[in-house]
Amino acid sequence: MAAPTATVAALEVFGATVPGRIESVSVSLPAGQLIGLVGPNGSGKSTLLQVAAGLLPGGNVRWAGEPLEKIAMLERGRRASWVPQEIRFEFGFSVRSVVGQGRFAFGDDGRGIDDAIARLDLNHLADRPVDRLSGGERQRVLLARSLVTEAPLYLWDEPLAALDIRHALQVLVLARELAGRGATVLLSLHDLRLVEKLDQVVALDAGKLRATGTPSAVLTAEFLRSVFGVLASRSPGLTLELP
Amino acid sequence: MTRERRMAGWALPVASLALVVLAVVSLSVGDLHLPLPKVWAGLRRTDPWAATIVWQLRMPRLVVAILVGAALSSAGLVMQAFFRNSLASPGLLGVSTGGAAGAVMSIAFGWAAISLWCLPVSAMIGAFVAMAAVLAFARRGASTEGLILAGLALNALLGAVTGYFLCRHTDVFDRNAQMVFWLMGGMEDRTWTHVLIASPIVVAAMFVWPLGRPMDLLSLGQAEAQSLGVDVRRLRRQLLVLSTVLTAAATAVSGAVGFVGLIVPHILRLTIGPEHKRLLPLSLVGGAAFVVGCDLVCRLVGGLPLGIVTALIGGPYFLWLLQRQR
Repeated sequence: MAAPTATVAALEVFGATVPGRIESVSVSLPAGQLIGLVGPNGSGKSTLLQVAAGLLPGGNVRWAGEPLEKIAMLERGRRASWVPQEIRFEFGFSVRSVVGQGRFAFGDDGRGIDDAIARLDLNHLADRPVDRLSGGERQRVLLARSLVTEAPLYLWDEPLAALDIRHALQVLVLARELAGRGATVLLSLHDLRLVEKLDQVVALDAGKLRATGTPSAVLTAEFLRSVFGVLASRSPGLTLELP
Repeated sequence: MTRERRMAGWALPVASLALVVLAVVSLSVGDLHLPLPKVWAGLRRTDPWAATIVWQLRMPRLVVAILVGAALSSAGLVMQAFFRNSLASPGLLGVSTGGAAGAVMSIAFGWAAISLWCLPVSAMIGAFVAMAAVLAFARRGASTEGLILAGLALNALLGAVTGYFLCRHTDVFDRNAQMVFWLMGGMEDRTWTHVLIASPIVVAAMFVWPLGRPMDLLSLGQAEAQSLGVDVRRLRRQLLVLSTVLTAAATAVSGAVGFVGLIVPHILRLTIGPEHKRLLPLSLVGGAAFVVGCDLVCRLVGGLPLGIVTALIGGPYFLWLLQRQR
Protein backbone atom coordinates (compact mmCIF):
# COMPACT_ATOMS: atom_id res chain seq x y z
CA MET A 1 0.00 0.00 0.00
CA ALA A 2 1.05 3.58 -0.56
CA ALA A 3 2.51 5.66 2.19
CA PRO A 4 -0.30 7.28 4.17
CA THR A 5 1.46 10.64 3.85
CA ALA A 6 0.48 10.81 0.16
CA THR A 7 -2.58 13.00 0.51
CA VAL A 8 -2.86 14.26 -3.06
CA ALA A 9 -4.47 11.72 -5.36
CA ALA A 10 -2.39 10.76 -8.41
CA LEU A 11 -5.46 10.79 -10.63
CA GLU A 12 -8.87 12.28 -10.02
CA VAL A 13 -11.74 12.16 -12.47
CA PHE A 14 -14.97 13.99 -11.59
CA GLY A 15 -18.22 13.27 -13.32
CA ALA A 16 -16.71 11.90 -16.52
CA THR A 17 -19.49 11.76 -19.09
CA VAL A 18 -19.20 10.83 -22.74
CA PRO A 19 -22.68 10.48 -24.23
CA GLY A 20 -23.53 6.90 -25.05
CA ARG A 21 -20.38 5.54 -23.42
CA ILE A 22 -19.91 6.58 -19.80
CA GLU A 23 -22.06 8.57 -17.41
CA SER A 24 -20.81 10.66 -14.47
CA VAL A 25 -17.99 8.38 -13.45
CA SER A 26 -15.81 9.74 -10.65
CA VAL A 27 -12.70 8.06 -9.33
CA SER A 28 -9.79 9.13 -7.18
CA LEU A 29 -6.64 7.02 -7.22
CA PRO A 30 -3.80 7.29 -4.73
CA ALA A 31 -0.16 7.35 -5.75
CA GLY A 32 1.93 4.21 -5.67
CA GLN A 33 -0.81 1.74 -6.43
CA LEU A 34 -1.53 -0.83 -9.04
CA ILE A 35 -5.17 -0.54 -9.97
CA GLY A 36 -7.30 -2.70 -12.21
CA LEU A 37 -10.18 -1.41 -14.30
CA VAL A 38 -12.69 -4.16 -14.95
CA GLY A 39 -16.08 -4.48 -16.56
CA PRO A 40 -17.84 -6.37 -19.33
CA ASN A 41 -17.33 -5.48 -23.01
CA GLY A 42 -18.67 -2.04 -23.78
CA SER A 43 -18.82 -0.98 -20.14
CA GLY A 44 -16.69 2.10 -20.86
CA LYS A 45 -13.21 1.08 -19.69
CA SER A 46 -11.35 2.45 -22.74
CA THR A 47 -13.44 5.62 -22.70
CA LEU A 48 -12.67 6.28 -19.05
CA LEU A 49 -8.95 5.73 -19.68
CA GLN A 50 -9.05 8.17 -22.60
CA VAL A 51 -10.83 10.80 -20.53
CA ALA A 52 -8.32 10.28 -17.74
CA ALA A 53 -5.49 10.67 -20.25
CA GLY A 54 -6.95 13.92 -21.56
CA LEU A 55 -7.56 12.46 -25.01
CA LEU A 56 -11.35 12.71 -24.85
CA PRO A 57 -13.23 15.68 -23.43
CA GLY A 58 -15.93 14.87 -20.90
CA GLY A 59 -15.07 15.48 -17.29
CA ASN A 60 -12.83 17.25 -14.86
CA VAL A 61 -9.50 15.51 -14.63
CA ARG A 62 -6.68 16.26 -12.22
CA TRP A 63 -3.24 14.75 -12.28
CA ALA A 64 -1.52 14.98 -8.88
CA GLY A 65 -3.98 17.65 -7.89
CA GLU A 66 -3.45 19.83 -10.96
CA PRO A 67 -6.33 20.39 -13.37
CA LEU A 68 -5.49 18.87 -16.74
CA GLU A 69 -6.33 21.99 -18.73
CA LYS A 70 -3.58 23.84 -16.85
CA ILE A 71 -0.93 21.35 -17.94
CA ALA A 72 0.77 22.20 -21.26
CA MET A 73 0.68 19.57 -24.00
CA LEU A 74 4.38 18.77 -23.87
CA GLU A 75 4.30 18.53 -20.08
CA ARG A 76 1.42 16.05 -20.32
CA GLY A 77 3.76 13.74 -22.20
CA ARG A 78 5.98 13.67 -19.14
CA ARG A 79 3.25 13.37 -16.53
CA ALA A 80 1.17 10.49 -17.82
CA SER A 81 1.51 7.73 -20.35
CA TRP A 82 -1.46 6.16 -22.11
CA VAL A 83 -1.23 2.94 -24.09
CA PRO A 84 -4.04 2.01 -26.48
CA GLN A 85 -5.64 -1.38 -26.65
CA GLU A 86 -4.29 -2.04 -30.10
CA ILE A 87 -2.55 -0.15 -32.83
CA ARG A 88 -1.96 -0.47 -36.53
CA PHE A 89 1.44 0.80 -37.62
CA GLU A 90 1.32 2.18 -41.15
CA PHE A 91 5.01 2.97 -41.50
CA GLY A 92 7.99 0.73 -40.91
CA PHE A 93 9.74 2.55 -38.10
CA SER A 94 12.15 0.29 -36.24
CA VAL A 95 11.14 -1.01 -32.82
CA ARG A 96 13.96 1.00 -31.25
CA SER A 97 12.81 4.19 -32.93
CA VAL A 98 9.19 3.74 -31.81
CA VAL A 99 10.28 3.06 -28.24
CA GLY A 100 12.45 6.18 -28.48
CA GLN A 101 9.37 8.26 -29.24
CA GLY A 102 8.53 7.94 -25.55
CA ARG A 103 11.29 10.49 -24.95
CA PHE A 104 9.76 13.08 -27.29
CA ALA A 105 8.63 15.25 -24.40
CA PHE A 106 12.17 15.16 -23.01
CA GLY A 107 13.82 16.50 -26.15
CA ASP A 108 14.56 13.00 -27.45
CA ASP A 109 17.40 12.47 -25.00
CA GLY A 110 17.33 8.72 -25.63
CA ARG A 111 17.30 7.83 -21.93
CA GLY A 112 16.24 4.38 -20.85
CA ILE A 113 15.47 3.08 -24.33
CA ASP A 114 17.80 0.09 -24.20
CA ASP A 115 16.59 -0.87 -20.73
CA ALA A 116 12.95 -0.69 -21.79
CA ILE A 117 13.64 -2.80 -24.86
CA ALA A 118 15.34 -5.43 -22.73
CA ARG A 119 12.64 -5.24 -20.09
CA LEU A 120 9.86 -5.98 -22.55
CA ASP A 121 11.89 -8.80 -24.11
CA LEU A 122 12.34 -6.97 -27.42
CA ASN A 123 16.11 -7.23 -27.85
CA HIS A 124 15.92 -9.61 -30.78
CA LEU A 125 13.33 -7.36 -32.47
CA ALA A 126 14.99 -3.99 -31.83
CA ASP A 127 15.85 -3.31 -35.47
CA ARG A 128 12.71 -4.85 -36.98
CA PRO A 129 10.14 -2.61 -38.65
CA VAL A 130 7.07 -2.33 -36.44
CA ASP A 131 4.64 -2.87 -39.30
CA ARG A 132 5.77 -6.50 -39.50
CA LEU A 133 5.26 -7.49 -35.88
CA SER A 134 2.59 -9.72 -34.39
CA GLY A 135 -0.14 -8.29 -32.16
CA GLY A 136 1.58 -9.28 -28.94
CA GLU A 137 4.92 -7.91 -30.11
CA ARG A 138 3.27 -4.61 -31.05
CA GLN A 139 1.72 -4.46 -27.61
CA ARG A 140 5.12 -4.92 -25.98
CA VAL A 141 6.59 -2.16 -28.16
CA LEU A 142 3.85 0.21 -26.96
CA LEU A 143 4.49 -0.77 -23.34
CA ALA A 144 8.23 -0.23 -23.77
CA ARG A 145 7.50 3.20 -25.26
CA SER A 146 5.30 3.95 -22.26
CA LEU A 147 7.99 2.76 -19.87
CA VAL A 148 10.66 5.16 -21.16
CA THR A 149 8.46 8.16 -20.35
CA GLU A 150 9.12 7.45 -16.64
CA ALA A 151 5.75 9.11 -16.02
CA PRO A 152 4.22 9.12 -12.55
CA LEU A 153 0.90 7.96 -14.03
CA TYR A 154 0.39 5.03 -16.38
CA LEU A 155 -2.94 4.43 -18.11
CA TRP A 156 -2.80 1.13 -19.96
CA ASP A 157 -5.76 -0.12 -21.96
CA GLU A 158 -5.76 -3.92 -21.87
CA PRO A 159 -1.99 -4.26 -21.87
CA LEU A 160 -2.24 -8.01 -21.38
CA ALA A 161 -4.88 -8.78 -24.00
CA ALA A 162 -2.53 -9.81 -26.79
CA LEU A 163 0.25 -11.25 -24.64
CA ASP A 164 1.14 -14.87 -23.94
CA ILE A 165 0.99 -15.88 -20.30
CA ARG A 166 4.71 -15.42 -19.60
CA HIS A 167 4.82 -11.93 -21.04
CA ALA A 168 1.54 -11.06 -19.33
CA LEU A 169 2.96 -12.06 -15.94
CA GLN A 170 6.15 -10.14 -16.70
CA VAL A 171 4.13 -7.02 -17.45
CA LEU A 172 2.30 -7.38 -14.16
CA VAL A 173 5.62 -7.70 -12.33
CA LEU A 174 6.81 -4.59 -14.16
CA ALA A 175 3.65 -2.70 -13.22
CA ARG A 176 4.12 -3.73 -9.61
CA GLU A 177 7.68 -2.37 -9.72
CA LEU A 178 6.47 0.93 -11.13
CA ALA A 179 3.92 1.19 -8.34
CA GLY A 180 6.63 0.33 -5.84
CA ARG A 181 8.59 3.32 -7.09
CA GLY A 182 5.62 5.57 -6.37
CA ALA A 183 3.95 5.61 -9.76
CA THR A 184 0.26 4.91 -10.24
CA VAL A 185 -0.68 2.26 -12.76
CA LEU A 186 -4.28 2.00 -13.91
CA LEU A 187 -4.79 -0.88 -16.31
CA SER A 188 -7.90 -2.40 -17.74
CA LEU A 189 -8.09 -6.15 -17.96
CA HIS A 190 -10.48 -8.96 -18.63
CA ASP A 191 -8.84 -11.85 -16.87
CA LEU A 192 -10.40 -11.51 -13.43
CA ARG A 193 -8.12 -14.25 -12.09
CA LEU A 194 -5.22 -11.80 -12.39
CA VAL A 195 -7.04 -9.09 -10.49
CA GLU A 196 -6.02 -10.55 -7.15
CA LYS A 197 -2.46 -9.41 -7.85
CA LEU A 198 -3.60 -5.77 -7.84
CA ASP A 199 -4.09 -3.28 -5.01
CA GLN A 200 -7.45 -1.92 -6.04
CA VAL A 201 -10.21 -2.53 -8.52
CA VAL A 202 -12.44 -0.02 -10.27
CA ALA A 203 -15.46 -1.77 -11.75
CA LEU A 204 -17.61 -0.32 -14.52
CA ASP A 205 -20.89 -1.64 -15.80
CA ALA A 206 -22.93 -0.18 -18.65
CA GLY A 207 -21.03 3.11 -18.52
CA LYS A 208 -21.47 3.59 -14.78
CA LEU A 209 -19.17 3.12 -11.84
CA ARG A 210 -20.24 0.01 -9.95
CA ALA A 211 -17.62 -0.37 -7.26
CA THR A 212 -14.12 0.53 -6.14
CA GLY A 213 -12.06 -1.17 -3.48
CA THR A 214 -9.71 -4.03 -2.85
CA PRO A 215 -10.09 -7.01 -5.19
CA SER A 216 -11.51 -9.28 -2.51
CA ALA A 217 -13.99 -6.65 -1.40
CA VAL A 218 -15.22 -5.89 -4.90
CA LEU A 219 -15.15 -9.21 -6.68
CA THR A 220 -17.68 -11.03 -4.56
CA ALA A 221 -19.64 -13.93 -5.98
CA GLU A 222 -22.77 -11.83 -5.99
CA PHE A 223 -21.01 -8.99 -7.83
CA LEU A 224 -19.56 -11.33 -10.46
CA ARG A 225 -22.96 -12.77 -11.05
CA SER A 226 -24.80 -9.47 -11.40
CA VAL A 227 -22.16 -7.61 -13.46
CA PHE A 228 -20.50 -10.32 -15.49
CA GLY A 229 -23.20 -12.95 -15.39
CA VAL A 230 -20.86 -15.70 -14.21
CA LEU A 231 -20.78 -18.07 -11.26
CA ALA A 232 -17.57 -17.80 -9.27
CA SER A 233 -16.01 -20.65 -7.36
CA ARG A 234 -12.57 -21.25 -5.92
CA SER A 235 -11.04 -24.52 -6.92
CA PRO A 236 -7.44 -25.68 -7.14
CA GLY A 237 -7.15 -25.25 -10.89
CA LEU A 238 -4.02 -24.63 -12.96
CA THR A 239 -1.93 -21.84 -11.42
CA LEU A 240 0.80 -20.16 -13.45
CA GLU A 241 3.63 -18.11 -12.00
CA LEU A 242 6.95 -16.82 -13.31
CA PRO A 243 9.83 -19.13 -12.34
CA MET B 1 16.75 -2.02 -41.95
CA THR B 2 20.53 -1.94 -41.85
CA ARG B 3 20.42 -1.40 -45.59
CA GLU B 4 18.08 1.53 -45.04
CA ARG B 5 20.38 3.01 -42.44
CA ARG B 6 23.34 2.67 -44.77
CA MET B 7 21.39 4.34 -47.57
CA ALA B 8 20.22 7.11 -45.24
CA GLY B 9 23.65 8.70 -44.98
CA TRP B 10 24.19 8.64 -48.71
CA ALA B 11 20.76 9.60 -49.96
CA LEU B 12 20.93 13.35 -49.37
CA PRO B 13 24.40 13.89 -50.89
CA VAL B 14 23.46 11.70 -53.86
CA ALA B 15 20.17 13.53 -54.41
CA SER B 16 21.90 16.91 -54.11
CA LEU B 17 24.56 15.90 -56.59
CA ALA B 18 21.89 14.63 -58.98
CA LEU B 19 20.03 17.93 -58.66
CA VAL B 20 23.16 19.96 -59.44
CA VAL B 21 24.07 17.82 -62.45
CA LEU B 22 20.51 17.90 -63.80
CA ALA B 23 20.35 21.65 -63.25
CA VAL B 24 23.55 22.25 -65.20
CA VAL B 25 22.40 19.98 -68.01
CA SER B 26 19.02 21.67 -68.16
CA LEU B 27 20.72 25.05 -68.55
CA SER B 28 22.68 23.68 -71.47
CA VAL B 29 20.03 21.64 -73.29
CA GLY B 30 17.21 23.12 -75.34
CA ASP B 31 16.25 24.20 -78.83
CA LEU B 32 19.64 25.81 -78.89
CA HIS B 33 22.38 23.71 -77.40
CA LEU B 34 24.78 25.64 -75.20
CA PRO B 35 28.08 23.87 -74.48
CA LEU B 36 29.16 24.08 -70.84
CA PRO B 37 31.70 26.92 -71.31
CA LYS B 38 28.93 28.94 -72.93
CA VAL B 39 26.60 28.20 -70.01
CA TRP B 40 29.32 29.42 -67.66
CA ALA B 41 29.86 32.54 -69.75
CA GLY B 42 26.10 33.12 -69.74
CA LEU B 43 25.89 32.70 -66.01
CA ARG B 44 28.63 35.30 -65.53
CA ARG B 45 27.02 37.47 -68.20
CA THR B 46 30.31 37.73 -70.12
CA ASP B 47 28.52 36.53 -73.27
CA PRO B 48 25.39 38.66 -73.73
CA TRP B 49 23.72 36.20 -76.10
CA ALA B 50 24.28 33.21 -73.81
CA ALA B 51 23.34 35.36 -70.84
CA THR B 52 19.94 36.08 -72.39
CA ILE B 53 19.27 32.39 -72.96
CA VAL B 54 20.48 31.35 -69.52
CA TRP B 55 19.02 34.14 -67.42
CA GLN B 56 15.83 34.97 -69.34
CA LEU B 57 14.75 31.57 -70.64
CA ARG B 58 16.31 28.61 -68.91
CA MET B 59 17.03 29.79 -65.39
CA PRO B 60 13.44 30.80 -64.52
CA ARG B 61 12.21 27.52 -65.93
CA LEU B 62 14.80 25.62 -63.90
CA VAL B 63 13.98 27.51 -60.70
CA VAL B 64 10.26 26.92 -61.19
CA ALA B 65 10.91 23.21 -61.75
CA ILE B 66 13.01 23.03 -58.58
CA LEU B 67 10.38 24.82 -56.50
CA VAL B 68 7.51 22.77 -57.91
CA GLY B 69 9.31 19.46 -57.37
CA ALA B 70 10.31 20.35 -53.83
CA ALA B 71 6.83 21.62 -53.02
CA LEU B 72 4.86 18.70 -54.41
CA SER B 73 6.99 15.98 -52.89
CA SER B 74 7.20 17.61 -49.46
CA ALA B 75 3.45 18.32 -49.54
CA GLY B 76 2.90 14.66 -50.39
CA LEU B 77 5.10 13.59 -47.48
CA VAL B 78 3.15 15.85 -45.14
CA MET B 79 -0.20 14.48 -46.34
CA GLN B 80 1.03 10.90 -45.92
CA ALA B 81 2.02 11.57 -42.31
CA PHE B 82 -1.19 13.52 -41.71
CA PHE B 83 -3.43 10.74 -42.98
CA ARG B 84 -1.17 7.94 -41.76
CA ASN B 85 -1.31 6.50 -45.21
CA SER B 86 1.46 6.16 -47.74
CA LEU B 87 -1.07 6.48 -50.56
CA ALA B 88 -2.09 10.04 -49.68
CA SER B 89 -1.11 12.73 -52.17
CA PRO B 90 -1.09 16.55 -52.19
CA GLY B 91 -4.28 16.61 -54.24
CA LEU B 92 -6.26 14.47 -51.81
CA LEU B 93 -8.20 17.35 -50.31
CA GLY B 94 -9.05 19.08 -53.59
CA VAL B 95 -6.38 21.77 -53.53
CA SER B 96 -4.89 20.98 -56.93
CA THR B 97 -8.32 20.45 -58.49
CA GLY B 98 -9.27 23.84 -57.09
CA GLY B 99 -6.19 25.32 -58.70
CA ALA B 100 -7.06 23.64 -61.98
CA ALA B 101 -10.62 24.98 -61.87
CA GLY B 102 -9.33 28.50 -61.21
CA ALA B 103 -6.84 28.30 -64.05
CA VAL B 104 -9.33 26.88 -66.53
CA MET B 105 -11.83 29.62 -65.67
CA SER B 106 -9.24 32.30 -66.21
CA ILE B 107 -8.49 30.84 -69.64
CA ALA B 108 -12.18 30.44 -70.46
CA PHE B 109 -13.04 34.02 -69.57
CA GLY B 110 -10.05 35.35 -71.44
CA TRP B 111 -8.35 36.77 -68.33
CA ALA B 112 -5.30 34.66 -68.98
CA ALA B 113 -4.63 36.66 -72.15
CA ILE B 114 -4.64 39.98 -70.28
CA SER B 115 -1.53 39.48 -68.16
CA LEU B 116 0.97 36.82 -67.22
CA TRP B 117 -0.23 37.15 -63.63
CA CYS B 118 -3.87 36.33 -64.26
CA LEU B 119 -3.69 32.60 -64.77
CA PRO B 120 -1.45 31.68 -61.84
CA VAL B 121 -3.29 34.05 -59.54
CA SER B 122 -6.65 32.54 -60.54
CA ALA B 123 -5.20 29.09 -59.93
CA MET B 124 -3.96 30.21 -56.53
CA ILE B 125 -7.39 31.62 -55.68
CA GLY B 126 -9.05 28.37 -56.77
CA ALA B 127 -6.66 26.36 -54.62
CA PHE B 128 -7.23 28.58 -51.60
CA VAL B 129 -11.01 28.44 -51.99
CA ALA B 130 -10.69 24.66 -51.87
CA MET B 131 -8.43 24.94 -48.84
CA ALA B 132 -10.88 27.26 -47.07
CA ALA B 133 -13.65 24.73 -47.64
CA VAL B 134 -11.51 21.93 -46.20
CA LEU B 135 -10.39 24.02 -43.22
CA ALA B 136 -13.94 25.07 -42.45
CA PHE B 137 -14.85 21.42 -42.47
CA ALA B 138 -11.85 20.46 -40.30
CA ARG B 139 -12.70 23.17 -37.78
CA ARG B 140 -15.98 21.43 -37.07
CA GLY B 141 -13.85 18.60 -35.73
CA ALA B 142 -14.09 16.30 -38.70
CA SER B 143 -12.36 12.94 -38.37
CA THR B 144 -9.64 11.81 -40.72
CA GLU B 145 -12.17 9.80 -42.71
CA GLY B 146 -14.50 12.80 -42.79
CA LEU B 147 -11.73 14.95 -44.24
CA ILE B 148 -10.90 12.40 -46.92
CA LEU B 149 -14.55 12.12 -47.91
CA ALA B 150 -14.89 15.90 -47.98
CA GLY B 151 -11.80 15.98 -50.20
CA LEU B 152 -13.36 13.41 -52.53
CA ALA B 153 -16.54 15.46 -52.81
CA LEU B 154 -14.59 18.66 -53.38
CA ASN B 155 -12.43 16.98 -56.01
CA ALA B 156 -15.53 15.79 -57.85
CA LEU B 157 -17.20 19.18 -57.63
CA LEU B 158 -14.20 21.17 -58.80
CA GLY B 159 -13.43 18.57 -61.45
CA ALA B 160 -16.94 19.12 -62.75
CA VAL B 161 -16.32 22.88 -62.96
CA THR B 162 -13.15 22.24 -64.94
CA GLY B 163 -14.96 19.77 -67.19
CA TYR B 164 -17.78 22.23 -67.81
CA PHE B 165 -15.47 24.97 -69.07
CA LEU B 166 -13.49 22.46 -71.08
CA CYS B 167 -16.70 21.39 -72.88
CA ARG B 168 -18.08 24.90 -73.27
CA HIS B 169 -15.00 26.08 -75.14
CA THR B 170 -14.41 23.25 -77.56
CA ASP B 171 -15.28 25.73 -80.35
CA VAL B 172 -12.44 28.09 -79.40
CA PHE B 173 -9.52 25.87 -80.28
CA ASP B 174 -6.83 28.11 -78.79
CA ARG B 175 -8.39 28.28 -75.39
CA ASN B 176 -9.30 24.64 -75.35
CA ALA B 177 -5.76 23.59 -76.21
CA GLN B 178 -4.39 25.94 -73.58
CA MET B 179 -6.66 24.36 -70.96
CA VAL B 180 -5.69 20.83 -71.92
CA PHE B 181 -1.99 21.65 -71.80
CA TRP B 182 -2.37 23.38 -68.49
CA LEU B 183 -4.20 20.39 -67.05
CA MET B 184 -1.30 18.15 -68.00
CA GLY B 185 1.22 20.44 -66.38
CA GLY B 186 4.34 21.93 -67.84
CA MET B 187 7.27 24.27 -67.52
CA GLU B 188 7.22 25.92 -70.94
CA ASP B 189 7.86 29.64 -71.11
CA ARG B 190 8.06 30.09 -67.36
CA THR B 191 9.41 33.51 -66.38
CA TRP B 192 10.73 35.25 -63.30
CA THR B 193 7.12 36.30 -62.66
CA HIS B 194 6.29 32.63 -62.15
CA VAL B 195 9.26 32.27 -59.84
CA LEU B 196 7.90 35.15 -57.80
CA ILE B 197 4.45 33.57 -57.67
CA ALA B 198 5.99 30.27 -56.53
CA SER B 199 8.14 31.92 -53.86
CA PRO B 200 5.77 31.11 -50.94
CA ILE B 201 7.07 27.57 -51.43
CA VAL B 202 10.40 28.61 -49.91
CA VAL B 203 8.69 30.04 -46.84
CA ALA B 204 6.40 27.02 -46.38
CA ALA B 205 9.35 24.65 -46.75
CA MET B 206 11.19 26.50 -43.99
CA PHE B 207 8.20 26.10 -41.69
CA VAL B 208 7.77 22.42 -42.50
CA TRP B 209 11.43 21.62 -41.88
CA PRO B 210 11.35 21.50 -38.05
CA LEU B 211 8.11 19.50 -37.92
CA GLY B 212 9.77 16.23 -38.89
CA ARG B 213 9.99 14.76 -35.41
CA PRO B 214 6.37 15.41 -34.33
CA MET B 215 5.33 14.10 -37.77
CA ASP B 216 6.97 10.78 -36.85
CA LEU B 217 4.74 10.49 -33.82
CA LEU B 218 1.63 11.69 -35.64
CA SER B 219 2.18 9.17 -38.41
CA LEU B 220 1.77 6.37 -35.87
CA GLY B 221 -1.50 7.63 -34.41
CA GLN B 222 -3.15 10.86 -33.28
CA ALA B 223 -4.14 9.90 -29.76
CA GLU B 224 -0.82 8.13 -29.23
CA ALA B 225 1.10 11.21 -30.37
CA GLN B 226 -0.93 13.46 -28.10
CA SER B 227 -0.33 11.24 -25.13
CA LEU B 228 3.41 11.50 -25.78
CA GLY B 229 3.27 15.28 -25.60
CA VAL B 230 2.53 16.39 -29.18
CA ASP B 231 0.00 19.21 -29.52
CA VAL B 232 -1.85 17.24 -32.15
CA ARG B 233 -4.55 19.78 -33.00
CA ARG B 234 -2.02 22.50 -33.58
CA LEU B 235 0.33 20.24 -35.52
CA ARG B 236 -2.46 19.00 -37.79
CA ARG B 237 -3.59 22.54 -38.51
CA GLN B 238 -0.04 23.58 -39.33
CA LEU B 239 0.49 20.62 -41.60
CA LEU B 240 -2.80 21.19 -43.41
CA VAL B 241 -2.04 24.85 -44.06
CA LEU B 242 1.57 24.27 -45.08
CA SER B 243 0.82 21.43 -47.45
CA THR B 244 -1.94 23.52 -49.01
CA VAL B 245 0.35 26.50 -49.53
CA LEU B 246 2.98 24.21 -51.07
CA THR B 247 0.47 22.53 -53.37
CA ALA B 248 -1.35 25.73 -54.31
CA ALA B 249 1.82 27.61 -55.21
CA ALA B 250 3.15 24.67 -57.21
CA THR B 251 -0.13 24.16 -59.06
CA ALA B 252 -0.38 27.87 -59.83
CA VAL B 253 2.86 27.95 -61.78
CA SER B 254 3.13 24.46 -63.23
CA GLY B 255 -0.40 23.27 -63.85
CA ALA B 256 -1.64 19.97 -62.57
CA VAL B 257 1.51 17.84 -62.36
CA GLY B 258 0.39 14.52 -61.01
CA PHE B 259 2.19 11.68 -59.34
CA VAL B 260 5.21 13.57 -57.98
CA GLY B 261 3.70 14.09 -54.54
CA LEU B 262 2.62 10.48 -54.28
CA ILE B 263 5.60 8.73 -55.68
CA VAL B 264 8.68 10.69 -54.59
CA PRO B 265 8.02 10.50 -50.83
CA HIS B 266 7.05 6.87 -51.19
CA ILE B 267 10.23 6.00 -53.09
CA LEU B 268 12.36 7.89 -50.58
CA ARG B 269 10.68 6.12 -47.67
CA LEU B 270 11.37 2.76 -49.25
CA THR B 271 14.99 3.82 -49.68
CA ILE B 272 15.90 5.35 -46.32
CA GLY B 273 13.08 4.39 -43.95
CA PRO B 274 10.24 6.39 -42.45
CA GLU B 275 12.01 8.93 -40.18
CA HIS B 276 10.66 12.32 -41.20
CA LYS B 277 13.62 14.29 -39.93
CA ARG B 278 15.64 12.73 -42.75
CA LEU B 279 12.76 12.37 -45.20
CA LEU B 280 11.81 16.04 -45.23
CA PRO B 281 15.09 17.49 -46.53
CA LEU B 282 15.48 14.55 -48.85
CA SER B 283 12.00 14.99 -50.28
CA LEU B 284 12.69 18.67 -50.98
CA VAL B 285 15.92 17.90 -52.82
CA GLY B 286 14.79 14.61 -54.35
CA GLY B 287 11.48 16.06 -55.53
CA ALA B 288 13.31 18.99 -57.12
CA ALA B 289 15.75 16.64 -58.88
CA PHE B 290 12.88 14.44 -60.09
CA VAL B 291 10.92 17.29 -61.65
CA VAL B 292 14.02 18.95 -63.16
CA GLY B 293 14.92 15.57 -64.67
CA CYS B 294 11.40 15.00 -66.00
CA ASP B 295 11.30 18.50 -67.48
CA LEU B 296 14.59 17.74 -69.19
CA VAL B 297 13.04 14.64 -70.73
CA CYS B 298 10.05 16.73 -71.84
CA ARG B 299 12.36 19.02 -73.78
CA LEU B 300 14.49 16.25 -75.23
CA VAL B 301 11.53 14.36 -76.66
CA GLY B 302 10.00 17.51 -78.07
CA GLY B 303 7.52 19.13 -75.77
CA LEU B 304 5.64 16.36 -74.02
CA PRO B 305 3.55 17.72 -71.12
CA LEU B 306 5.34 17.34 -67.81
CA GLY B 307 2.47 15.48 -66.12
CA ILE B 308 2.74 12.71 -68.69
CA VAL B 309 6.50 12.34 -68.27
CA THR B 310 6.36 12.27 -64.45
CA ALA B 311 3.88 9.41 -64.65
CA LEU B 312 5.72 7.59 -67.44
CA ILE B 313 9.03 7.66 -65.56
CA GLY B 314 7.72 7.40 -62.04
CA GLY B 315 5.22 4.61 -62.63
CA PRO B 316 7.53 1.85 -63.84
CA TYR B 317 10.27 2.78 -61.37
CA PHE B 318 7.74 2.62 -58.58
CA LEU B 319 6.51 -0.80 -59.71
CA TRP B 320 10.06 -2.07 -59.87
CA LEU B 321 10.75 -0.81 -56.36
CA LEU B 322 7.58 -2.42 -55.01
CA GLN B 323 8.50 -5.68 -56.66
CA ARG B 324 11.96 -5.61 -55.09
CA GLN B 325 10.54 -4.88 -51.64
CA ARG B 326 8.74 -8.19 -51.44
